[in-house]
Amino acid sequence: MQSGWLLLGPLDWICYLNKQVKVKTGNDEEHRGWLLTVDPVSASVVLVNFGEVGGASVQVVMGHAVEEVEVLQEADEETAERLSAAFLPQQISFSPNELRRRKEMARRWLQKNHVPVDDNGEELKVAGVLTLMPPYMPEDCRSSNEIILDRIQKLLETNPEKLEDRPRHT
Amino acid sequence: MATPVSVLRLPKGPEPNGSRGFDPTSPRFIALCRTSISTLVASEEDAEQLQREQCARSALRESFLRCLLSMANKKVQFHMYEKVKVEATFGACDIDVLNFQVSDLHTPIGVQKEALIRCQDVISYTFHL
Repeated sequence: MQSGWLLLGPLDWICYLNKQVKVKTGNDEEHRGWLLTVDPVSASVVLVNFGEVGGASVQVVMGHAVEEVEVLQEADEETAERLSAAFLPQQISFSPNELRRRKEMARRWLQKNHVPVDDNGEELKVAGVLTLMPPYMPEDCRSSNEIILDRIQKLLETNPEKLEDRPRHT
Repeated sequence: MATPVSVLRLPKGPEPNGSRGFDPTSPRFIALCRTSISTLVASEEDAEQLQREQCARSALRESFLRCLLSMANKKVQFHMYEKVKVEATFGACDIDVLNFQVSDLHTPIGVQKEALIRCQDVISYTFHL
């Protein structure tokens, strides 16, 4: 018994974003929450319910189990902002001097390890196929080559010059 | 109940890559090895529509991947068919969302140290941010 939900497609699913929905599943159960996203591969629905004291609970309903999705209300601006920030990594801002210093640290370490690095304004072009963006942490690597991406990320992680720069999660 | 149980090895079912003798048109194969839902737009006239669909697809998928990332190493409750509810520590998910890799799966017969949960058996799962 397959519902039409699986067949809708990304252009339809994206219309449900940032709305409070009621999802009915085949076993006559209902799940409510703010719809954060729909996985285009499995049609799974990600619902968020915010707690009273901050924090949130996330419920994911598998696409194959979805019978019906009903929209209850639109998110107001505050809720929409909370939703878009829900899974994003914490942002930290550095001063221009600090960014310059970090760029030089990354470049020195890569060059020490015989990896070609070119200056590209704010970014570093690494081995011709990878871009290292500010603030030059391992997760700021961008490349379409998975193998190079993995190697450069691991290399950056082992830089002995790395200072305390990860945000503390409370 | 925290009695560890020995590893249960169930027979391997069909996999999307290679058939191992399973008929790719059988309902079981299709149910267990459904690959990514293909694009709906086929004709060239809808090139602009295809582009919009791909934009939507990648935005939705990125959000979902971040959701999976935030689940890593957290306790997740799986609500499955036949009124089965289990709790485990989430490890990873495969690319087609067919299996979840979990640790410390609390089942009615004891704790499985490592397990693969078949996504087709799961109705929903919950965790706290």
